Amino acid sequence: MDIVEGLLTKSAQLREAARLSDEGYDRQIRANVTSLRHVMSRGSLSSNDSLFDHFDPGADSLAYLFLLHAQIHALQEASCETVPAGLLPPGRLWSRMVSYLKAFDPVQVRYAGQEWRQLVELVGQAAQMASKPILAVRLVRDAMLRLDPSCAVFTSTHLLLVQLCLRARAYAYALPVLNKFVCHFPTSTSHATSRSSVVPCATHDSSLSFITEASGLSSNLTYKDYLRYFLYGGMVYSALKKWCKAAHFFGVVISMPATGSISMIMVEAYKKWVLVGLLDKGKLCSHPSMIASNVVKIYQSLAKPYVNLAQTFERGDRKALEAEIDAARDIWCADNNMGLVSQVMNAYSKHTIIGVKKTFAALTVTAIAEQASPAHTSDEATESIIASLIMSGAMEATLVQLPNRNSSTMLRFLATPSFRQLSRESRVQTRLMQERHSLEALVDSLDESNRHMGLSDEFVDSIQKGQAWARMSDVNPGMGEDAGLEIDEDLMGEVS
Amino acid sequence: MELPPLSVEQLSKLAASNVPPLQLYEILSQYETDACLISAGTGSLETGDGDPQVLSLFYSSFFFAHLLAKQLPEARALTQRMPETLRRQDPSLQNCLTLLRALWQTQHAQVYQILRRLPWPENLQPLVQRYESFFQDDTLIAISTSYEAIRPATAANYLGLDPQAAEQGDPAIIEKFTSCGWTWDAATQLLHPSPITIPPTDKPSSNGIRETMAMLGNRGS
Repeated sequence: MDIVEGLLTKSAQLREAARLSDEGYDRQIRANVTSLRHVMSRGSLSSNDSLFDHFDPGADSLAYLFLLHAQIHALQEASCETVPAGLLPPGRLWSRMVSYLKAFDPVQVRYAGQEWRQLVELVGQAAQMASKPILAVRLVRDAMLRLDPSCAVFTSTHLLLVQLCLRARAYAYALPVLNKFVCHFPTSTSHATSRSSVVPCATHDSSLSFITEASGLSSNLTYKDYLRYFLYGGMVYSALKKWCKAAHFFGVVISMPATGSISMIMVEAYKKWVLVGLLDKGKLCSHPSMIASNVVKIYQSLAKPYVNLAQTFERGDRKALEAEIDAARDIWCADNNMGLVSQVMNAYSKHTIIGVKKTFAALTVTAIAEQASPAHTSDEATESIIASLIMSGAMEATLVQLPNRNSSTMLRFLATPSFRQLSRESRVQTRLMQERHSLEALVDSLDESNRHMGLSDEFVDSIQKGQAWARMSDVNPGMGEDAGLEIDEDLMGEVS
Repeated sequence: MELPPLSVEQLSKLAASNVPPLQLYEILSQYETDACLISAGTGSLETGDGDPQVLSLFYSSFFFAHLLAKQLPEARALTQRMPETLRRQDPSLQNCLTLLRALWQTQHAQVYQILRRLPWPENLQPLVQRYESFFQDDTLIAISTSYEAIRPATAANYLGLDPQAAEQGDPAIIEKFTSCGWTWDAATQLLHPSPITIPPTDKPSSNGIRETMAMLGNRGS
């Protein structure tokens, strides 16, 4: 009970110190963390559940966090398991962890980053062990955003979140994090930019000031973690049919500089990048300019069936395309890409219809059905497909029906009515605004990077580290944990 | 903000409320973990053991919230997160799957049939009707910009109206379209849609481009 009273006193002191200067608050938090770690190491914290009732997960974030760890540690020791059954949902300790992650003080945990991160990881593991990854998805995401609303510093939790989202098939939950720009990696020392203070508890312009290697808020990262985050992120966007974003994410992976060999993750991303390009643009997109030509050749040789598929698509031979898809079915399945490949035929029909615009100003639906659709598709069904394309904004055209029911509807490409022009301008304007917000975020981060690079010789260290990573890439054995993360088949995609 | 516990009453209240689509989506998404715990059979502390009625109403309501928020791919993902047994046996969730298929395949007439004729639970009805009205308005806007001339039967089909009556020039149906600014050519028996455009919600600043260019300019200096 003495220990509890000690903790209560320290928590009360911390609350008092919050009203002092940043430096004073910093000193008090550090003293508390040191004391809590000391108590933990001696095993003096009781695993009595009723202790939690004395503390508030928000105001007493540090004490609550260490109490949670004491309980978790006791369970782990008793069961000799990393994730003991007592931690699994919907147990009492699970509920405690959930309450904590919903309410913790994001400033206090900057000083106990390792313990905070371990708790987040444990929540993810427990939910997966209970075969309910969805239970951790929102928790992990909201905890990340609570700690760092910008999510601009890449951490191991970024990767955990996208993995959980894919496993739970809860793709949209990842978007609030995926839609933000990753601009930094945790650095070995803090580069606080606050004018007034360099202590972690101060208000900082950038989270890079407190998410450092030493903070423990991220586990050690390798370049593979970074690649996997973008690969999985691309898969999330693909599942949501946000092809453009997906292509960008896969593009980040395939553009990673490679000195010697390229990793399996990059090859996986390349295969998906080819498919997503077909689905979005209807063609094999040109490679990002920063990829060296010899690397492109390696990609193409390692992903030959995909390149062949794309070339057949571009040639415009429907039967050959069907044959190509059938012939390599085992490959698509083995690569977990059957879901994307199964959408290729629909994309082919769509892009063939859109492509008619290059030749004709207007055409009857019957004529289009002959060109673009399988033989058995009726005019009515073709008109419905075309109308859907126009309504979704994929095609700029209008349909004109004639009085006679037996006359085929006309598709007109040339006329650009004023309302459509207006709507296009409005879309461009909205897009410009989005780009402006993105630029603002990037410019801030660029300032941060510039400062970072100019401050010390750490930049040189990071280059050396990067070279070490590059050497590691040569022996990369494969994707390991990626098995089972697949976008399922688009069974509903058939329109007939 | 702490939400009331997940219950049939709370879900019925939400379904009947006129909460904006994105807000409804957000509220229901916060309940998904509770629903998941209930489906595990052990129940959460507040709601007790698994309750198929709550689960059915939750997943159906959440499904409609996705549709109202125009998140069709994620609605499909949600159907894959529903508890397997419940998804196979519950009539309301089965209806959701049928509706999803019709929407995925853009079968407008079928969508209306599913919404109107299939038996939906009483406390879900407000959401079903809300979605029907939303879908109808959304489609009306879409066809107004996609067709220059359209036969009444086709237009009626898109909006879930009686195509036969429309083909015969039913004045009530024609009036529905002309009241939106469309013109009716009695000689050709064709409707000429007047494009309906929705202004963007956030008016972009007129200085947007200038400010963006200035920002880029600063980077170069």
